[in-house]
Amino acid sequence: MGALSSWFAERIPVRPGDLRELTNEPVPNHLKRWWFCLGGTPAYLFVVQIVTGILLAFYYQASPQTAWDSVRFITEDASYGWFLRGLHKWAATLMIASVVLHQMRVYFTGAYRKPRELNWIVGMGLLVLSLLTGFTGYSLVYEQLSYWGATVGANIADNVPVLGALAKQLLLAGEVYNEHTLSRFFMLHAAVLPSAMVALLAVHITLIRLQGVTEFVDAREPERDRGTFNFFPEHFATELTIGLVLMVLLAALSTILPATMGPRADPLVTPEVIKPEWFFYVAFRWLKLFSGTAAVLSMGFIVFVMVAWPFIDGWIRRRRAGSEFSVYLGIVAVLALLALTLWEAAVEH
Amino acid sequence: MDEQDETPERRAFLARASTLFMAGGLVAGYGACGAIGVRYLFPATGRVRRWQFLARAESLRVGESLEYRAPSGERIAVARRGEAGKVEDFVALSSTCPHLGCQVHWQFVEKRFFCPCHNGTFDPEGRATAGPPFEAGQSLARFPLKIEDGVLFIEVPMEALPRPGGAS
Repeated sequence: MGALSSWFAERIPVRPGDLRELTNEPVPNHLKRWWFCLGGTPAYLFVVQIVTGILLAFYYQASPQTAWDSVRFITEDASYGWFLRGLHKWAATLMIASVVLHQMRVYFTGAYRKPRELNWIVGMGLLVLSLLTGFTGYSLVYEQLSYWGATVGANIADNVPVLGALAKQLLLAGEVYNEHTLSRFFMLHAAVLPSAMVALLAVHITLIRLQGVTEFVDAREPERDRGTFNFFPEHFATELTIGLVLMVLLAALSTILPATMGPRADPLVTPEVIKPEWFFYVAFRWLKLFSGTAAVLSMGFIVFVMVAWPFIDGWIRRRRAGSEFSVYLGIVAVLALLALTLWEAAVEH
Repeated sequence: MDEQDETPERRAFLARASTLFMAGGLVAGYGACGAIGVRYLFPATGRVRRWQFLARAESLRVGESLEYRAPSGERIAVARRGEAGKVEDFVALSSTCPHLGCQVHWQFVEKRFFCPCHNGTFDPEGRATAGPPFEAGQSLARFPLKIEDGVLFIEVPMEALPRPGGAS
């Protein structure tokens, strides 16, 4: 054993002490509460997505002739295909939900403020990439709703002034949905977007590691509850527990509410009731409230404000110290998000 | 080369110039590769459109309409509105909503085209009457028509995606 470990030590010259130093990020005590661990949740679910996605890709065939049949094969014929597809679908749903909740937690606790502005922007990038991955993934099933969702999505891009038409052509590989569109969605969903997410995740985690986890001083908190604990093994064990709970939840959801098959896409008949995935309900309702370009430009403006918020907030706080404006704005934004989502969910048109 | 020309300034200038030259070469080289990659991702050809026979112009009377199915499968409503027998008397309305590309369908009772995606409606002339297309002042697109020797032709896209049951 000693010979074997010295053989490895010679070839991998890292001392255990260095490793301990690298992993033992001091973690503030408030991270013992699970809602402060919502950042690790999407990261865990992302790994689930990669593993289940690779397995699904063994049978998936990205062309209009074969896509729907290959998904049906995975769902109905391949051993445990229904379960893996269910895991992939539910992990996507929970991943987007946890990304949004994580962002809300960071927002309402002001964890985006100096010196963490750049990490907020990286997080916004991860949110956009998660939504795009969800959009392209949903399109791959090639059922009626996913086909028309993709058509609507590409035409939303077309409403962006100047670059819109180019973006639509780049997304669809043509003026309209065609033979090459589905393979493009597949490459974006399975290679381009996940690679970009891995890169941004690396930057996100590195910045957290360099700046440390935000510490909160709550006057109501007893003195003994403040302070820090070790990342490894204490916090790591918390994340493992959350992972286990998530796995149980995913398995239960995949079994009780499995991923189903809608009717195959018909490029000539738009269904009477058309809905995107739930995380796009808010945008879909927005598009019904305003005309094309106005809706797209206003959505772009909202995203811009979200990206630049740490700097806007800093500007406000420099002028009005102790301003709670960000909290009120956040509450209004969350209520608007919930209202538009529930409105879209409640009505047919 | 004269030994005295080899001043530190001259050497520094040459070093800077060669660095810039190298950097320029790298940017140009990789930039060209990037541009080729982006160009590759854009469609190589536009949508193929051809002129197709539609009907004899005289067979469609004023106020009448017919539904034409293009080789791409798209349903096109063709109507005659004038007596003169010129191409301006005819209109060929696309069934694709100008808002976000969904397919509209004719609602017989309401006498309107309806888009189920965002509740857009259009009158029989293709003008938007409600919903986001109305707010944006959009109308259903019209296909180009021409009359040659009394025959009405329409220019339509040719490619079709597969449909359920193999129909196109």
